[in-house]
Amino acid sequence: MAADLFTIGVIVIYFLALLAIGAWASKKIKNTEDYLVAGRQLGFWVFILLMIGTVASGMSLLGVSGLGFKAGWPTIWEQIFVPLSIGFCIIFFGVKLHNVAKSAGYITVQDYLAHRYESPTALRTLSAVAGIIVSLIYLVGQYSAIAIVLMWLFGIPLWLALVIATLITTIYTAIGGLYAVAWASLIQSIILIVGVLIMAPIIIFYAGGFDHINTVLMGVNPNLVMPWNPAGAFAPPYIVSFAVLLMVGLSCAPHVINNVLAIRDVKYFKWAPLIAFVIYGAVMFLLKFTGFAGAVMVKEGVFTLPNVPNAGDFVILYGIQNSMPIMALWAIFAVIVLAAVMSTTDRLMLTIGAMCSWDIYKKVIKPDADDKTVLLLSKIIVILSALFTMVLAINPPEMLAILIWMGIGVMLSTFAIPLLAGLYWRGATREGALAAMALGLVSSLSFGMLNYVKAGMFGIDFGKIPLHFSAYSFIIAILAMIVVSQLTKKNSEKVLDETQTGWYISK
Amino acid sequence: MFGLPDITIIAVGGVVLVVIAALLYWGLTFRGHD
Repeated sequence: MAADLFTIGVIVIYFLALLAIGAWASKKIKNTEDYLVAGRQLGFWVFILLMIGTVASGMSLLGVSGLGFKAGWPTIWEQIFVPLSIGFCIIFFGVKLHNVAKSAGYITVQDYLAHRYESPTALRTLSAVAGIIVSLIYLVGQYSAIAIVLMWLFGIPLWLALVIATLITTIYTAIGGLYAVAWASLIQSIILIVGVLIMAPIIIFYAGGFDHINTVLMGVNPNLVMPWNPAGAFAPPYIVSFAVLLMVGLSCAPHVINNVLAIRDVKYFKWAPLIAFVIYGAVMFLLKFTGFAGAVMVKEGVFTLPNVPNAGDFVILYGIQNSMPIMALWAIFAVIVLAAVMSTTDRLMLTIGAMCSWDIYKKVIKPDADDKTVLLLSKIIVILSALFTMVLAINPPEMLAILIWMGIGVMLSTFAIPLLAGLYWRGATREGALAAMALGLVSSLSFGMLNYVKAGMFGIDFGKIPLHFSAYSFIIAILAMIVVSQLTKKNSEKVLDETQTGWYISK
Repeated sequence: MFGLPDITIIAVGGVVLVVIAALLYWGLTFRGHD
């Protein structure tokens, strides 16, 4: 399709609003703390919608419905465990990290790791480098999603779609830091929530209603309406590993967990997990149902998907195009998709900026660097990370969901164990954390690649494994932490007390 | 119901209810302090 003037107008207004937020936020930036953690002044709803916006990514709209289209109800667990990752992050990481961060002045989660494990250089650097790698993988998936939408809407070539998306997101993120990202997410999340609540039921109704959709799916293949597959992907063991992947992996992702450092009051953590789960859960379920609706519409010949490798990612776009034959509504829907994708993209770029400028430059390379230099470097890194991933996204992966899950799998294997063991086990040592992080990173990257190309290693066929690949690297990280910590010297009691380490969430 | 087998409704609905109950419990019992 090619957009009309109204569509272009709606998109332009949306982009201008984001740029205005960036310009407004830039006036609030006085130092690095303002830029990277919004002066620790985020309110309740801004925080909740920032968390939803950060977790709600390109996969939320395109990938979720694409997977529902392809594999049916056995994939429904994604709709429970992705929204639950926000609660997991707040409860198991957020409460303690926020309390310690406020007194210790943490800007990034790497500050916590360096303090807790008394490793100002080695663990901080490894953690920042790992964080940058996984954020870049994840970012490529986001830019691919933006490009899909802009190509569909405007009928423009991929490179031009990528340039437009990169330019807008980069400008408001670079000038306004977390203030801009958080307030943009507030608007983007509201657009996403309201938009999906209105448009998804229309698509489902157009496909014949919920009962009809399930009946047709059952006729195509009875497994499509079962809660799990009898074997292979989305069989019960796989679903358990998938639940851990989404719930724990997303919750410890650098761009998600850093948000807990930015709130004004820890009391916000009381109801935020439930509210975020209910709101985002409703959105996620509706999105999956639109994927089912798309499968039925394709089966009944209402429309055919484009002949491309990632055709499933287009199903919601074609669903909307057919169920709402008014071009003006497509423009609004395009804004919804863009909002979902951009709210994650901006946070990822800012996180990469923080890890490069704060963790690597200020804390390792040049500790006497002044605040102005660090702030400037943060902005430059935000721009460079956008350009780098834009180039990578020119060759989009076969299926968006696969790339994004790989990113989450690497996050799970790399960060979950050093963080959980650091917060709750006084026996976890610096060497244990280094081993867990390094082995988790290397093994998850290796297994992820083998899984992607369906190759084998050590006699294991990664194309046919019963668990998600990240489960194996996660287990390796757990073993590395336990074994190495038992063999090495414990951290000082003083630091363990300062960082509130122990088997409790809140004293 | 909804054109779905009972096991799908029970499994998915059951997990959603357990999660909501757990988060409700957290909200009722959390006493955060700075």
